Amino acid sequence: MAMGHRRVPEGLLYDRNHYWVKVAGREASIGLSAHGQHTIGDILYLELVSPGAMIRKGEGFGSIESSKWVGALIAPVTGVVLDTNREVEASPGQINVDPYGQGWILRIELSDIDELKLLMKATAYRQWVEEQINREHQEEGAI
Amino acid sequence: MDLYNLGPVTWWESQCFYHAMAALGREGLIICYPTTPYVCLGLHDDLDQEIDQEYCRVRGLPLLRRETGGGVVYLDSCQLFFQLVLHRDNPLLPLRRLQFFEKFLRPAIAGYRSFGLPAELRAPADIVADGRKCSGAAAGDIGPCVAYVGNLLLDFDFYTMSKVLRVPTAIYRRCLYQAMRRNMTTLADWMTKAPEYSELAMALVNEFARHLSDLSPRTLDRELVEMSIGYREKLTAMAWLSLPGRKQARRRVKIAEGVHLLERNLGGLESIVVLIREGMAEEPLHMGGPGIDSGSFQFTIGTKEEKIFEVPQQFNP
Repeated sequence: MAMGHRRVPEGLLYDRNHYWVKVAGREASIGLSAHGQHTIGDILYLELVSPGAMIRKGEGFGSIESSKWVGALIAPVTGVVLDTNREVEASPGQINVDPYGQGWILRIELSDIDELKLLMKATAYRQWVEEQINREHQEEGAI
Repeated sequence: MDLYNLGPVTWWESQCFYHAMAALGREGLIICYPTTPYVCLGLHDDLDQEIDQEYCRVRGLPLLRRETGGGVVYLDSCQLFFQLVLHRDNPLLPLRRLQFFEKFLRPAIAGYRSFGLPAELRAPADIVADGRKCSGAAAGDIGPCVAYVGNLLLDFDFYTMSKVLRVPTAIYRRCLYQAMRRNMTTLADWMTKAPEYSELAMALVNEFARHLSDLSPRTLDRELVEMSIGYREKLTAMAWLSLPGRKQARRRVKIAEGVHLLERNLGGLESIVVLIREGMAEEPLHMGGPGIDSGSFQFTIGTKEEKIFEVPQQFNP
């Protein structure tokens, strides 16, 4: 198993659905963490809301498909979509390749700065990911 | 866990009951088959690109877009469905959703084997016998749950499947039929007499109970039926069916895991249709036009980024 999916850069905030949030003033970029994309597998398709749409913390802002599975993209924070990553929409596998860089998903204007307090810093998220990976290893042993 | 061993149901019920269960947050296993044929799109399939809507209309084949993954399928009474709905936080579910197919498909594999097919998993979500696909599966998050769905093929109408899909040429359609026939198999290929529904259903129920959970037989209740009627409206509405989906630069039909049929028009009468297996081109099924030598072509297909058809120098514009 590649170790890349354990990578958790400092300076970003994270939630338990494996999204990262990079804050710059009242704006934020959002993407899937390395571990998040790892749990999904090879990403084949992405359907995103359009710029101008309001996304709400805990609610869907699009859907994602890996081989034979589709799921909702769940917003880690609330805000208005400023921009979506057209390159990643055209080539969703970029999320697998570079989740924290070229694989960013969308950029929003934050509606509630206080929501950021509910997100995890890198250290806490890293610890949580390790717990998840340990659980995964136990599952693999059980299968 | 609740078991709904429904037997024959209408075409739309064969999809809408599991959607309704998932939306209601109710775990359970459904086993059923549709009494009449229909065409089912995956959540992200593009209707205009994928389906010959005129053929479906003339044949009276209704369309439905499900909320799970995978591609377009033609479904009829020769297929038995097994549909498992679990809460997303059910400890049975691994973190990696695709990994669960291995567990989900074990009962179907055991069921096939009990009827003499040398069935085995072809990761992530196919069952193959003698290297040929004999079951497809898909999954999707619906409401607070995730639904895993699959089928056992008593037989398969390859001809109608080849007609349902929108394809570039009649030749491609013929190649599609041949490719499916060569790379898929059903119980009918292995048995002289088709098993009864009850035999197949019992085999599945026993194996699901052994591998997943105790099963308590249930009958449909009002809440479930009403929710499924609502889903019928949603999943068959033209606005829903017409939602934009993934676009292909060139026609490519997935026959089985790792097996795709590709076509490329090289201009004029020159075109080729070729089967790609595990990223490598097999002998072209069709080559139209003079002077095209199969040895002249190399093909590659990526798993993450589509990269198809490296055309030989002499045919580049």
